[in-house]
Amino acid sequence: MKFTLLLALALSSVSVALATPIGIYQHGTVVRMRMGDCALMHRGFMTTFGPPQAAATEESCPEYTLVTDKVVFLIVGKSSNQLVPLAEVIDFRFQNKELAVRVDDARKESKFAIKEMTLRSEWELIQKHIENELNDPPHRPEDTSLTLRSRE
Amino acid sequence: MLSHWHIRSALLALFVLTYASVADDTNRSSGLPTYRSTVSEVRVTFFATDENNHALATLTKSDFAVVDNELVVRNFRSFTHSDETSLDVVALVDLSESVAPRFRVAMSDVLQLVAREQSIPDDNIAVLSFGGISSAILCSSGCRASDSVSKLLAVKSSGTTPLFDALIFGADFISHHRRAGARPVIILFSDGNDTISLHSAGNALEAVLDGGALIYSVDIGTPRNPSSGSMFLRRVSEATGGRYFSLRDGAATVLNAVLEDLRASYVVTYALPSHQDGFHSLRLLPTHNLNLTFHSRNGYFYERSVR
Repeated sequence: MKFTLLLALALSSVSVALATPIGIYQHGTVVRMRMGDCALMHRGFMTTFGPPQAAATEESCPEYTLVTDKVVFLIVGKSSNQLVPLAEVIDFRFQNKELAVRVDDARKESKFAIKEMTLRSEWELIQKHIENELNDPPHRPEDTSLTLRSRE
Repeated sequence: MLSHWHIRSALLALFVLTYASVADDTNRSSGLPTYRSTVSEVRVTFFATDENNHALATLTKSDFAVVDNELVVRNFRSFTHSDETSLDVVALVDLSESVAPRFRVAMSDVLQLVAREQSIPDDNIAVLSFGGISSAILCSSGCRASDSVSKLLAVKSSGTTPLFDALIFGADFISHHRRAGARPVIILFSDGNDTISLHSAGNALEAVLDGGALIYSVDIGTPRNPSSGSMFLRRVSEATGGRYFSLRDGAATVLNAVLEDLRASYVVTYALPSHQDGFHSLRLLPTHNLNLTFHSRNGYFYERSVR
């Protein structure tokens, strides 16, 4: 009796675990994109222990800033041509520490490494600060000697 | 010379159009308030190709987003077909020794281009060459005249390759002969290997971007051995919004692509997303169909003082 109960419990938990990842997508918007280095993706044996030339590959990988309701993700592609469709809203889900994005009108997924995660509120504060810096750069101290001299 | 290009590009506002509305002095004297507004707008001309490298005739503004200095822009002010209806073509031909084995085939392509009367009017095509230490005008408006054709047939390949200097020469030539409503195009026949220029590759690219010309490069290097020269030709073509071809594609393919791209070109405008001084990188990317490739110049210069 106890064995049957345990077996039923085990089977039900397996079925739940298998069913969970399918179809549960979150939504977000890509607001930034840049080509960065592929170091995060290509941390292989040769890169770590090989000669310096092995690490110095010319390839660059796309980095996307994906904004969701609560969290902002910085995700990195695995090759230079791994693109995220830049639609207003994209669907994604987590899979084995990676972020799987629905592409090509939902027929397939593309997996990206997660480089950074920030709370949206914090990220917005940082963005505001950057924007202020750009629009209103810090004032340089003015040379008042001329004014003083003319007054004298 | 470069600073001149810089200023001209900013003032002509190929990409950043700055409008300043200033009220009349009469308003000031009559005590009426003066309203001033400054609007900065970016204007990008582009075309898209499908997975078979064919230009797309129909496109909507929801098919793409612009990445301007890393910022994704989806809200566009306007989206229309380009008003460019004709071509201003400069064939820029490498006459250096390094291309000698394939030089005759390249010249035959140039002659085929010149002969396409129905596509390019005689006044709108010129042939320039480079080799040794300098660049030269082989013919300009009137390339179909018999003496010009004889001149083109008589050229020989020899000497070093001042490719970057030649690109600056070509960009300067095309910007001085620019016509309203005509798209400036440089069809570059070269192996992409520079050996003697006074200017750098960066200078050359900047000059071409400032001139607003698109580069369609025809690689006349060794076909089975992709080199740094081929890489340069690809990069310079992509950076200006043009395309890269190999010599075996032939003149007809290249010219058809140039014409197809002209007909399928669109212009999108949007508010300047950041007032950061300097070079703004540009990239157009698909929103749904990842098989689409968008071709446009890869950036523009913005200077705060232009406001």
